[in-house]
Amino acid sequence: MIFLAALFSGALYAQAPVPAEARLPQEKELDVVDFQHVKDVLKKDGLMQEVKRKKDEVERIQGARVAQEKARHNWPSEDDFWPIASELWLVKNASTLKWDFERPEYGVEETLAQLLRTTGHVGKRFRILALDAPSPAHFNLPWTKQEYCLLFSVPFARTLDLSKLEIALLLLEEVLRAEEGWPRDLVRPAKLKDLVGSNFTGQKPDLTPVFEVGTALTAFLREKGYSFQQQFQLTRKMDTLLKAHPELWNAYVRLLGKIDRLVKSNPVHAGYLKLFPSPEMQLRWLAPEEKPL
Amino acid sequence: MKAVLALTLLLPIAVAAADTLYFTALLGHVHQAPSRPSPSLTTIQCGHPLKAVSDPKVVVSGEWAHVAVADHKGFVWKRHLSEKRPDCFQARHPKFFDALQLDLAELYYWGRLYDHWEEGEVRP
Repeated sequence: MIFLAALFSGALYAQAPVPAEARLPQEKELDVVDFQHVKDVLKKDGLMQEVKRKKDEVERIQGARVAQEKARHNWPSEDDFWPIASELWLVKNASTLKWDFERPEYGVEETLAQLLRTTGHVGKRFRILALDAPSPAHFNLPWTKQEYCLLFSVPFARTLDLSKLEIALLLLEEVLRAEEGWPRDLVRPAKLKDLVGSNFTGQKPDLTPVFEVGTALTAFLREKGYSFQQQFQLTRKMDTLLKAHPELWNAYVRLLGKIDRLVKSNPVHAGYLKLFPSPEMQLRWLAPEEKPL
Repeated sequence: MKAVLALTLLLPIAVAAADTLYFTALLGHVHQAPSRPSPSLTTIQCGHPLKAVSDPKVVVSGEWAHVAVADHKGFVWKRHLSEKRPDCFQARHPKFFDALQLDLAELYYWGRLYDHWEEGEVRP
């Protein structure tokens, strides 16, 4: 009982304020590190805001760095993918397509630009690559939405003694095919849709579509080619575009006649029919309909 | 052409002014002479900085720039140069581009491809 009374009175004593003069030096020191006091001072000086600002800035920089590193692992967009895949195909087939050769300046680009302007393709860009191989005689490679990538064979043009306008007309055909999504949509890898714009952080990028495009392009040129239906569609479009310009329309008909005669007589260019069936049919489709009197 | 090459290789080159230019094509070559078929001194890729060399002894046509890169002094097609750092595929997709694992021959041919493209635009 005495013990409990002493303990109780001790507790009461502990809670009573100690006069300042009676406090020990060690107790007074504790006042110096009164954290509430320090916090109040920091707040008053605006240092807390400064610390917070710096902390936010560091977090922002770290976040940006993480995002930047993640972006380095992005799979390209379609507009980035197609030129890379097409160019890689050109590089890997440099020996068969023979585009690395010395040739005279044809100046086809000015004629093509003029022809495209006349046919309403304003604002578009194009790039042309001349080949020293007889095949493909002309072709377009999948590229970006705003630019066409066009190929033409110099031996083919030389054999037919094609003028700049005639080469440009063949390239106009290619521009129209590109607008239809040919051959891009015909060689499009199945998984491309899922990969475009995806992120491959922590893994190797899936490059199979890049190589699949190359294989498909080669197979398309050598075996598959365009269908009669596609050629018909293309010829009708050329007809519609050129009808307003009789001199161009006539030049196009003459050009198809030249090609038709060549592919029937020269076995070197017989492969043309496999890719573009067929100039003879194109001429028929372009011929005015005979109306009964 | 040979005279230009000889002047470039044999005479001491007075560099009057040197400005940094950036290569804008995906890949390309610094040529020995200012012509497309001229041999390559080195292959460079998009974003590579080059120094424009002004040398009164070397006559360069309007289409070509006389440039210095590393230990080489050669010629680059002006349409592949920019004063501003270009937005390059390799910079945007470095991991993807590295994964292509191009060998030296492929890098060389890819650079040659950009010597052969004829580019045009249909302006209104």
